[in-house]
Amino acid sequence: MKKYKYILLLVGLSIVGCTDLVEKPLGTLAPDGFFQTSQDLQTAIEGSKTAAINEKFWGRKLSIALMLRSDMVNLQSTQERRVEMDQLTTLPTNGMISEYWIKSYQGITAANFAIKGAESLTDANKDEVVAQAYFMRAFYYFHLVRQFGAIPYLTEPVSDIDAALTISSTPASDVYAGIISDLEFAEANLPATTNAASIPSAGAASSYLALVYLTRAGNTPNSPDFTTALTYAQKVINLGNYSLDTNFQNLFNADAIDASPEPIFALDYNGVEASDNAYDQIAPMAGIRGDDRNDGGGWSVAVPTEDVFASFDPLDYRTEVSFDQEANIGGVLVDYNNFTISGHEHARNTPYIAKYARYPGFFARGSGRATSHNYSMMRYAELLLIAAEAAVETGDAGTATGYVNQVRARARLGGDYKTGADVPMTFAPSTVPADLATVTVDDVIEERRIELAFECKRWYTIARRQLGDQVFSASGYEGAKVGWDATVDYLMPIPNTEIEANPNLSQNPY
Amino acid sequence: MKKTLNFCKTKLLFTAFLLTNIALIAQSNQEISGKITSSTDNAPIPGVNVIVVGTSNGTTTDFDGNYQINAPEGSKISFSFLGFVTKTISVSNQTTLNISLEEDSNELDEVVVVGYGARKKSDITGSVSSVKSEELNAFPVADASQALQGRAAGVVVQSNNGGEPGAPISIKIRGNTSISASSSPLVVVDGFVGGTMPQAADIQSMEVLKDASATAIYGSRGSNGVILVTTKKGRQGKITVELNSSYSVQNTANKLDLLNAEDFVTYQQQIRTNNGNNTPYNDSGFDTDWQDLIYRTGNTQNHTLSFSGGTAKSNFYASGNYYKQDGVLINSGFEKATFLSNLDAQVTSKLKLGLNLYGSKSTKKGVATQSTGANGVGGGGDDAISLAMRFDPTKDITDTDGNFSTNDQIGDPVDNPYAVASQRTDNTKEDEFRANAYLEYEIIEDLTFKTTFGLSTRNTMQGIYVPSTLIVSASAVSGRASVENWKRSTALTENYLTYNKEIGKGKLTALAGFSYQRNLTERSLAQGTGFISDSFLYYGLESSTGFLQPESQYTEVEIQSVFGRLNYDLNDKYLITATVRRDGASNFSENYKYATFPSAALGWKISNEEFLKENKTISNLKLRASYGLTGNPSIAAYQSLALLSTLYASSEGETVPAVTAEQPANENLKWETSYQTNIGVDFGFLNNNINLSVDYYTIDTKDLILPNSGIPAYAGYLNDEILGNLGEINNSGFEISINTRNISNENFRWTTDFNISANKSKVLKLVNDADFFDDGTPSYFSHDRSTIMRVGEEVGLFWGLEYAGVKNGATPDGMAGRTGTTVDGDPLFVDIDGDGAITDEDRTIIGNPNADFNWGFTNNFVYKDFDLNIFFQGSSGGEIMNLTNVQLTNGDSNTTQDYFNNAWTPTNTNTDQPRVGNNSNREISSRFVEDGSYIRLKNIALGYNLPRNVYEKIGIENIRLAVSAQNLLTFTKYSGLDPEVNFFGSAGNNNQSTNTVNGFDFGNYPTVKSVTFSLNLKF
Repeated sequence: MKKYKYILLLVGLSIVGCTDLVEKPLGTLAPDGFFQTSQDLQTAIEGSKTAAINEKFWGRKLSIALMLRSDMVNLQSTQERRVEMDQLTTLPTNGMISEYWIKSYQGITAANFAIKGAESLTDANKDEVVAQAYFMRAFYYFHLVRQFGAIPYLTEPVSDIDAALTISSTPASDVYAGIISDLEFAEANLPATTNAASIPSAGAASSYLALVYLTRAGNTPNSPDFTTALTYAQKVINLGNYSLDTNFQNLFNADAIDASPEPIFALDYNGVEASDNAYDQIAPMAGIRGDDRNDGGGWSVAVPTEDVFASFDPLDYRTEVSFDQEANIGGVLVDYNNFTISGHEHARNTPYIAKYARYPGFFARGSGRATSHNYSMMRYAELLLIAAEAAVETGDAGTATGYVNQVRARARLGGDYKTGADVPMTFAPSTVPADLATVTVDDVIEERRIELAFECKRWYTIARRQLGDQVFSASGYEGAKVGWDATVDYLMPIPNTEIEANPNLSQNPY
Repeated sequence: MKKTLNFCKTKLLFTAFLLTNIALIAQSNQEISGKITSSTDNAPIPGVNVIVVGTSNGTTTDFDGNYQINAPEGSKISFSFLGFVTKTISVSNQTTLNISLEEDSNELDEVVVVGYGARKKSDITGSVSSVKSEELNAFPVADASQALQGRAAGVVVQSNNGGEPGAPISIKIRGNTSISASSSPLVVVDGFVGGTMPQAADIQSMEVLKDASATAIYGSRGSNGVILVTTKKGRQGKITVELNSSYSVQNTANKLDLLNAEDFVTYQQQIRTNNGNNTPYNDSGFDTDWQDLIYRTGNTQNHTLSFSGGTAKSNFYASGNYYKQDGVLINSGFEKATFLSNLDAQVTSKLKLGLNLYGSKSTKKGVATQSTGANGVGGGGDDAISLAMRFDPTKDITDTDGNFSTNDQIGDPVDNPYAVASQRTDNTKEDEFRANAYLEYEIIEDLTFKTTFGLSTRNTMQGIYVPSTLIVSASAVSGRASVENWKRSTALTENYLTYNKEIGKGKLTALAGFSYQRNLTERSLAQGTGFISDSFLYYGLESSTGFLQPESQYTEVEIQSVFGRLNYDLNDKYLITATVRRDGASNFSENYKYATFPSAALGWKISNEEFLKENKTISNLKLRASYGLTGNPSIAAYQSLALLSTLYASSEGETVPAVTAEQPANENLKWETSYQTNIGVDFGFLNNNINLSVDYYTIDTKDLILPNSGIPAYAGYLNDEILGNLGEINNSGFEISINTRNISNENFRWTTDFNISANKSKVLKLVNDADFFDDGTPSYFSHDRSTIMRVGEEVGLFWGLEYAGVKNGATPDGMAGRTGTTVDGDPLFVDIDGDGAITDEDRTIIGNPNADFNWGFTNNFVYKDFDLNIFFQGSSGGEIMNLTNVQLTNGDSNTTQDYFNNAWTPTNTNTDQPRVGNNSNREISSRFVEDGSYIRLKNIALGYNLPRNVYEKIGIENIRLAVSAQNLLTFTKYSGLDPEVNFFGSAGNNNQSTNTVNGFDFGNYPTVKSVTFSLNLKF
């Protein structure tokens, strides 16, 4: 019968359509079975490192937050989340904290994946490779513990969400112990030096161990941590793999920094406007409004006060390198007393931070965004100052003085640089800063302030040394900060969404 | 004159043919001719179906109502035409049969398309609104969905970007039933699920299925309602050629009253003085009205040429449409050409075949509007509309170097609005093709099998080029280009059996079927910066010198389903409908692959009961009740799988591969389910001259997918939204439609249609019942919470500070200023937690964007050859968050005359507007919440049918001329440009923001007023 032919045909069509409905995605990866070789580990380690260069972490949010919290950088714009940072009135809803908190934990999670993935590998070099993951995990937790104290401390990828939801904050002391253990693993397994400062080395691990112990020692006189800090710092010094760059300006020159012997650990920026904001915007944040440099000038957000500038000796080469005192604005060469000719509401007649906008190298977006500037996270000068501080604390002022004077001697060398108006200059060797006969803890800290100015180190120094009452008072470089409260402000509040998600976490008073 | 619903006709033909094909006996034929007229006015009726019952022999009347047919003696001829009572006459020996058809006053025999079939309107048990071709074509629209606005109760239609040519149109039926998933209805075009809307001119009717009884047959895709679109088909008779042409002239409906250059400089100086800032504002010396510069008179032309006709065994409809619009914003436009054809062939007495083809090609020239602030330009400088309101009026278009001027003294640097509108290229080209073939076979009497097989593909390419002439956005990088391609394709087969049988006093209709659908989406994005020449636009990407990451994606979704429906009508009084669909979908999570959605409905035709049958007043009375479950698929492909994500990373200056954890597996994620109840009553009074339908519904949507705020960021997944079935909302409301025939006589007819609906969407359950926030502001406003979902409250309420006026002297108790020192003239807010400072704890619900009522009101008047249509549409009770004013009172912009004149000063203290330069931080407060109610004269149209004797001789059947105006009048208290607002915040127009971000106004393409001239020619 003819009609049955049709029916059969239709039934046939229907069967063609039957399917098991299992999803077979293309172009994505499943975690199961991903780690087969140490190359796969490296891929996850890169996943951890890239969180740090993101705009939400060092690219802007964390670096600017740390600058604003210090006593050296004023806020020129009025955005509330930045005001909260600058005035130390930071709330748990702060939009900067929430972003670098997330990025930190994304970096930690990628490291945890690599560490977990390494367990099942048999590659001979797996420990050497995965040691980078330990280093990165310590790097992120060290930022977190210094800012938040007790935090969720996870050393494995979260697979059971419900279990992860009920954990309590890990006390800061335990977090420090974890960081130290990770860095020890890193130190033991990483090569002594690597091709680039942005690839963790044993030297970088030792240097961080020195800073971690110094930080943990805090203000406690005779803390054994000072001794350990000194030991680690001297280990690096004695190995001799790093030295001070002869031109201080090279440290803030994207095209010179990679060849410099000074960086110990750096972040890697390659001038790509990557998706998810995986690039930096520090140069414009600190830059001068209307500045003819960098295709669009700066945004005048993070700006030093006049008092900060006045605290620098004009004969110290580091003053020239740290501040832009002149600029071309709309084709007119002006000194900092006329920076407001741009007419911009946030323009300010004061020298600007020069360490970012002067030599950003190749950049992919206007105003000097998405640069190729591999910012130093740890450089040899800081290591010397860590050693000096630890040495003073352990009663060896003589050794300390030697380290501090090395740093000062380098500054006296001067060097080639250019001004904010792009005028090439040479700073002749100077007698300033002169060698110190002996140093106190305060001297070392003051040297840090000058040497590492605007490198986002100052807040951590203030916090670990409990200097707030002094530096945020009316006599501070920024004048009195209205929100300063020594009982709560050394730690920042944990993002409210985290506390809402897991009430077992402890919130810091704010 | 009403037009035939083609479906009805083919069905009638087919049924008649089926019932009587046994009775085919050779008989002597005689030629019969005659004229068919309307009993009401004796006017001839063209297009009446004249069929010899039991044969395939038929014809239709010509324009003068004349017909000729050969019929054997003793046979029966039936005369049918939609809107008239069908007459069947036995042929004796007469050769002339003049028939007078009685108008079928109740329209209830009209056939309404439902899923996988059609029902007599009077037999419908669910809630279904029909919108007819005339309403859809009352004025020209780029997207036929737009024409639904105000036409069907419970259906809210809105452009997603004001009057933008080619803007996407959003439709919501009975409010949104979801939070994170789409709330858009399923569109089914001639049985093709997920088809795109054809041009309005090709649409015979649209049926809006609103309750579960009607939509559960679409199962997991039925929650948001279903729109069934039926395109025109040819009918037996001579070939008709029809031309519809229209031309419209358009202007912006409104402009804002902003400061001129002189006042602007004064204003900026005042701000600086108030802030103790002594940097003087540099007056650039011009006086530019940026709004004038970016707007122009726009126009739209719309032409459709169609051919249709058929024989007893086949019919066809073919049309071509050309639509072109030059937008009122310079450089914006939309152009589309569409072809559609429908073929049906009766191959044998039992076998019918058909093919539906659709093709279109469109180009949209876009101009950046509705800034999200995320487009790679700081400070939202990527949006011509809001820039035109903000930008420094002292600047000229270009500066002294001949470069386009930029805003360099306030806020972040931005390009000027003229440069943004004129320099950027943003073209979206879309090609679409759909073919759907069917085969229908009568297996045995009363049992037919139908199978359809269709393919559709939609290819979209969007090319954007930002040239180096745009100083802020692209000069530094020497141009920025991107090309994004989307290829979407669907294969669909539906196979079903339909069984019709009279059983005793009842009629049974049963349906059972199987369907399989596969949707593929492929996307690629190539981009770069740094070009030798701006003339490349987005072609020649290989010459780019700046690297931007390319992207590509693939997704595949398969859905297979079985479905069935049972209708039983007893005595033409009691109606029962039951449906069920079981859907399996690949995108559903591992533990929940299959979902079942049942529904049932009852109808009672009370007017057919003895006690009402003879009632003169009540001519129709029917009660309807339904209950059922429908779903929202809500889970995107691969969303429930454990995934790693690839990332950009840099090592030693090189870009290197990197991965991190994207999301853990979510094996228990389920679709969202709506539990819908509908109760309705249909009344007809006075011989159905007055028809009234009232529906009440309540929809509980459970298992709403929400990001589990229980997942902390410290879990470290890149996707910080791990989803669960955690929410519940309820929509309830009523809908009333009234259609009246007020006057109907030979020369004058007046009909009125009115519909009104009220919907309340209430949040019943959220994650841990904690408040759920979203944000409707652009990202550079730096807010993240401006709307709230709170258990027990309506959906998407405004969240912010309660404005308490201006500080003038001591701050009253219970109020406080913003953080920091507060001086006279600063804004005060209600200090809800009483801690003496304004903090996040002082935020509260400050407004409700949800309208209480939406309505449409149409009056049609026909006097002899003239007709007049007046269509009002309105909305009341919804509030608007005027973000434009938030920005314009922030100080880093131009501002309104109103604010400039009324802001607090030491000499103007009696005001509720704070001093200028009060450092508002673009605060979201009740100060910016306004009543968004409006009444709009959506369309007024006057038409004239030229007297037939003028052109009859040259073979033209009808000439009609019309002039109409759209959006001519709008009555509203809203101070912004237009009360139909549609800004979706920094996330843009995505599924969630269209549900939770409503009532925000910022940078929309303006609504336009237009005047349209149109011509209709029929041959």
